[in-house]
This record gives sequence, C-alpha cells and structure tokens, in this order.
Amino acid sequence: MKAPSLLDDATARVLGFDWLTSATAPVSPYGEPLFAQLRPFAAGEETQAAARAQAIAAFAGACDADAFDTLRAALNDVPDVNAGVARAAMGDVLDDPSFLELRRFCATIERLDAVLGARGVAVPLSNRAVRTVADALTPGGRDGSGFYLAGEFDRALDAARDRLARAQAELDAARGRESERVARELGRDEIAGDEFIVMRTDLHAPLPAGVRVLREAPTYVLCALELGEASFAALARRDAAADEVGAAEARVRERLSSIVREHAAGLGAAADALGELDVLAGAAHFAKVYGCTAPAITPEPVVEFEAARFLPLEVELAAAGRSFTPLDLELRDVAVLTGPNMGGKSVSLQTCGFVALCAAFGLPAPARRARSGIFEQIAWLGMGREREADGLLSSFAREVVELKAVLTRSSRRLLVLADEFARTTTPHEGKALMIALLERLRKLRACGMLATHLAGIAAAAGVAHFAVRGLREIPPCGPAQDVDAALAALAEAMDYRIAEVGPEDQPRADAIALTALLGVDREFVDSAYRALSQ
Amino acid sequence: MRVGLELLELARAAGARVIFVVGVGRDVGKTTALRAIYAAACRCEISAGLASIGRDGETLRGEARGKPRLWLEPRTSFVTARDALPRTPAVEISKLSSLRSPAGELLYARVVSSGFYELVGAPTASGVAEIVEELGTSSEMVIVDGAVDRVAALAGSDAAIVVACGAAAAPTPAEAVDEIATLVARLRVARFDPAAPALFLEGALTASDAAALIAARESRQIVVRDPTQIAVSGRAGARALSALRVRCLRPLHVIAATTAAIGPQRSFEPRTFARAVAVATALPTFDVYAATRAA
Repeated sequence: MKAPSLLDDATARVLGFDWLTSATAPVSPYGEPLFAQLRPFAAGEETQAAARAQAIAAFAGACDADAFDTLRAALNDVPDVNAGVARAAMGDVLDDPSFLELRRFCATIERLDAVLGARGVAVPLSNRAVRTVADALTPGGRDGSGFYLAGEFDRALDAARDRLARAQAELDAARGRESERVARELGRDEIAGDEFIVMRTDLHAPLPAGVRVLREAPTYVLCALELGEASFAALARRDAAADEVGAAEARVRERLSSIVREHAAGLGAAADALGELDVLAGAAHFAKVYGCTAPAITPEPVVEFEAARFLPLEVELAAAGRSFTPLDLELRDVAVLTGPNMGGKSVSLQTCGFVALCAAFGLPAPARRARSGIFEQIAWLGMGREREADGLLSSFAREVVELKAVLTRSSRRLLVLADEFARTTTPHEGKALMIALLERLRKLRACGMLATHLAGIAAAAGVAHFAVRGLREIPPCGPAQDVDAALAALAEAMDYRIAEVGPEDQPRADAIALTALLGVDREFVDSAYRALSQ
Repeated sequence: MRVGLELLELARAAGARVIFVVGVGRDVGKTTALRAIYAAACRCEISAGLASIGRDGETLRGEARGKPRLWLEPRTSFVTARDALPRTPAVEISKLSSLRSPAGELLYARVVSSGFYELVGAPTASGVAEIVEELGTSSEMVIVDGAVDRVAALAGSDAAIVVACGAAAAPTPAEAVDEIATLVARLRVARFDPAAPALFLEGALTASDAAALIAARESRQIVVRDPTQIAVSGRAGARALSALRVRCLRPLHVIAATTAAIGPQRSFEPRTFARAVAVATALPTFDVYAATRAA
C-alpha cells in the first residue's frame, strides 16, 4: 500500500501507516505486487471503498482461524511460476524444477478452491488451463511436493531407461572385474577412487596391466586404473544408452512445455486471481484478528465511531499486559478536544486518523461501528512530528511551515488532526492561531480536531468541544521512585472516554496531581497548589 | 584396507548419523575421503544423503573453482543448486529450498539413474544445519563435504568430523602436521566443567584476547560457544591452547584424520607423513590414496 498524496511521512508515522501495511500484507509472490500498487480511494469512490470493506469483512466472517491458517500457509508456500510460464510462452523448454513449481502451483489452487468452497466463499481460482496442466504433470508424482520425469510420461522413456540401466550394469561389472584383478595383483582389498598410490616397498613385481603411472616418486608411484577393452566397449554402449535417455527426457520436457505454452494465458489469469485472493485474505485476516467492521463510507467530511481502537497502541499495551479503552466519537466538521495530561488526547486523534485511514483503503476499521468520509489528505500538526526536526527552525516556526504546506495544498477533502498546535508560543497568541485555524478549516469545508490545553477556543470559534473525561479520582502516591507503579495507578484512575462538553466547561489538566503522583516532593506540590489558588 | 568402510564404521560406532569432512586447506583429499565413505555406504546399502558447502566450498572467499562432480548411485539424496542440476539423467526433485547459494536456489534431489552430479550447499552455518536436518529425514547417513567455519552448525550434535590434511596444505611435512595438529586440538576442545570457575566469552577467542589472558595468567576456564569460535591458528593457536584452559559449551566429535601425500605442487613421503599426523593428532589416520591406516 502506498499513500504519498494522502499522508506525509510524519503523519504516516504518527498514525501507524507502516503498522497497518504490515498487518494487512499478503504473503505470496502473487499478492505482493498487487498490494504494492494499492492506493487510497479518491473522493467520489465511496461506493467502491465501501464495497471493498464489506467484501473483506464478509471474507473474514466466513473463515475461522483454522481456515486462515490453512489459507495463509498455502499462499506463503506457493512458488512463483510467472517467470517459467513466460519462458514457456516464448518457446523455452522448461526444466524439472519449473515443472515441480507448476505442479505445486496447480495443487495449491485446487486446495484453496476446496478450502474456500467449503466455507461458501466463491472465489474460483482454478480454470481449464490449471486443470489441464495439473493433469499433464500428474505422472510426475502423486502429491504436489515432488517431481520426477517418470516413465509414465512416455513409454519410450521407460524403455530407454531400462536399456541404460542394463548398459550401466554391464559397465560396472566390467570395471569391477578390472578393478578387482588389479587389487588382487597388488595385494589390496580394493582400488578406491580415480587415483591411488602404490608404495614401492609393496611392489614386488611390475605394475599390473591396465594401471597407468601418473607420477613417480622415490618411495611410491601415483597410479590410475585404465579402461580395459571390455570396459571400453561397455562404456560406449552405456554412453549411447544415456544419449537415448537424454533425448527421450528432452522430448517429454518439450511436450510438457508446449502444454504450458498453450495454456499460458489461463495460468496467468489463475496467478492474477491468486494474487487478488492473497490481498483480500491479508486484509480479511487483519479484520478477523483485530475484530474490525466494515465502516459506512460517506461523501460527508466526518469521522464517527463507537468503541474504536488505535491498533498499534492496543497491540503494544497488550504486550505489556494492559488494555486499550475503546473510544466513541462523532466528529463532523471541526472540533476542539481538551482533557488532562496523559488522558489520551493524542491517542484519540490517532484513533480518528486510523479509522479514516482504514476507510481510505476500503478496509474494515477497528471499531464496533464506524462511519467516515474519504479524505484526499490527512494531515497531522503539532506534537508527534518531532522526528522531522530542522535545526534551522524553532519548534514554532516548524509548525507554521507545516501548517502553510497543508493550507497551500487546499485539498478538497481534508482531515486535520492537530495535537497542541502552537503550544510553544504565548497562550494568548496560541489561542488566536488555533481559532484562526478552525475558521480556515471550516471555510475549506474540512474535517478536523484540535487537541489543546487552552480554554475557550471551541466557544470562540463556535465549534464542537470534546473532552477526555479525565481522572475519576486522584490515586494515592506511591514510593517516589516507582514510576511504573505510578503510571499503572494513573491508568487505573483515568477515564479515557471522550464526551462532548458545553462551551463553558474549562479544560482539565490535573497536572499538579500528576506531578505528585509521579513522585515530586510534597513541598513542591503544595507550593504549586498555593500558587494555583491565588 | 577399505578406508571408506573404516571411516564409516568409526562414525557409526560413535553413534553419528552425520559425517562432516573438513580440510586444513584446498586439495587435501576432502572429496576423495567423502567419495570413499559414500562408496562404503553404498556397498553397505546404507541410504546416503550428500551435501556440500558453497559451490565448491570456497565461493564465499571468491575462489570459486569447478569441482569434479560425483558419481552418485540410485536412492542417494543430495543437495544441489537449480542451475547445477544436469538435464539428464533426470532426478526426483523432492523439495525446493528457500536457501540460496551463489549458484542459485538450492533443491533436494534423489538419484534415480546413476550419473555424475554436482553437490552445492548453503553458504551459511544455519543453512548447513537446515540441509543436514532435511537430508536426515530421508537418509540413514548424511555426508557433508564441509569447511571448518561451517562446522559450528553441528556443534553439540552427535555429528562426526573427519579432518583431511595433505601436501597441498603446507610447504613441508612438518608444517602440514602442525596445521592439522592445531586444527584438531581446536576442534577437540572439551566441554566446560560447570563446577569450576569460568570466564565466558561472548564472541570469538582472538589472538589478542588469548595473548592478554596468558599475560594476565588467567587460570579459569575460558569458555567459547563452540570450537569454531577459537579464532587462533598456527603456533599462536597451539600456544593459546596449551597455556589456557580453553573449553566450549557445545563440543565437536572429531573421529579421524585422512592424509593425501600428493598435491598439485609437491608430494610428501606417504607413510612417514601419515604416521606423523597420527602421532600429532592422536586420531585414527588414513591415507586415502594409499588405502592404508597409519600404525
């Protein structure tokens, strides 16, 4: 999957695009090129995007874990026959490994058709070409795991091999007799190998007939066994028989290659279908594993979901034995998101972007229910882009440059997710800039959510105001150094859910409570509370 | 004297189902020893699986050179590269491997009609281990034309190692004997004693490590993962092994040495050379060309 126009690199990183790509990737050499060409749907293609998401969800619903295991293992193991088929189509005679690959390809297609057919998933992969080639190669082995140019392919081949076996046996016998005679005359058990040494001290007579001296040394002679007349004659007969076998094998390969050539187009179609199945199965496997549902895809600039999860974080939390609190949100038009530190504002924005990203590629989204527009651009501003640091620009200047890029592009369908944008300037001016950004997004008919700690922005801009609910209670402080325990207590006490709030509600930060929880000394914390009350 | 049969019997007596033939250099009779063992296996009707490392064993060092193909008998399993497979006689291809060698993708084949075939193997120790395991599923004895640096894959297993030494390895018999004696001493480093103090090395024991440890009068066991991690050869190696208590976690089983007194450039007096190797290594030593065992 590629999305250069939909996401810039930093947004892709923040929203876990690589994670999503990896989680939905196909496993076969047929699916990989198709997957690499996948692009997000464009505005106006909502029907197609929704249809894809529904097809994937239906596939996921039809297959259980065992079926996916079988399917993915078969796809992972299927050899790439495209090059061989192309060579055959151009008149090449294929080699035996290529026939083995074709047998496995055909066997895999038949197996996949059986697995999917049993589950009512109508994805017919096989065609006449596959069946014809499979039948033609059947004498090569009973299952798809091996291949031998067996005599069943051609009786003449069988007969030629019989003659070769007899000729080889005659040669071996003749050679064996000569070798045994020489060994006996030299007083040895055997002559092993092409060359052998005879020690002069062991040599009480001339070397036996048929022994050729290769090198003489003071203490030994290096020898080789020559072919006697009987061996020569047997060798000539063996070579002639071997030539016959070679010719018969070549004829069989030519015939099999011509069958592949005749059916190259059909095999190519089956390979294409296999690729499409692999891409579909990759996405369906993702949907199954992560409990995704097909989103409703709408021409409106909205992102709405119930019980949605930001999967890259959910997976990370699960690995640490923690769970993700599913989120509900109805983002239409533009809105402000406030909430306490560590309350999940950034994750809420990421969840929003992830759902929109899934919709853009026609993928089921990790939510109980989701509805999203198709966006031409999803832009992340503010915190999270830091890896792109440019030493010549201050944090604020960099944010402004990034904002300018988004506004200049003026996408027709734009989703902006801003995490504490303009936080590095004065609160007064930061607030003004955010109000201006909200007004501009409205003017562009864009969708956007701006997370901030600053108060009064939603009311001033006249937009919806969402807030993370925040701490249910202030958890008791643990030992000063035990940060992990403090974070666990915080996670336990935090209500990460989002709710729409009224224009008069003040954003919560719970910052001083968090400072205490994370182990800063009591005197410091009390001092902060006193300053706050003044 | 049937050298191949003797080597085969030594391996079987040690309980090995894998024989790895390694050499101290090129043209020291590795392939000749392998042929002899293979021929003995065929005579005993033991199904054999054959493999090599690299195309000719040294391709990773950029010294690829054509190696004589082997005459293989029906029922023999072997590993070769797709591009090295002869068109005729056809073989039964049992499996295509995901391993690659410089000569192309590797595959497992089984001889149906006897003929000349080229062995090609994996260029990595893990690849060699994979091949040996796969061949072991269809063969009673796996014989590998190997190289010392790939033996690591077999460390800790019951594979038997035959070390080949020849006139091609050194200018004089004494130097050739030193070479094999040091190599055998390295390969035969014993398993470490868990009850005794030990210094475990993460990687290889290099010459500079050894020099520093000797200078520090280190008396603990110096423990490497397996004997191939002792990267000190020649006289320095001999000195390190005598001055330090070098041990390993996964030992190797060296069962015999072979000698090839003839080389492309020079030859040694066969009996004297074989006897010297036998004394220096304390191993059963066979001259594969003279079909003799050193007394």
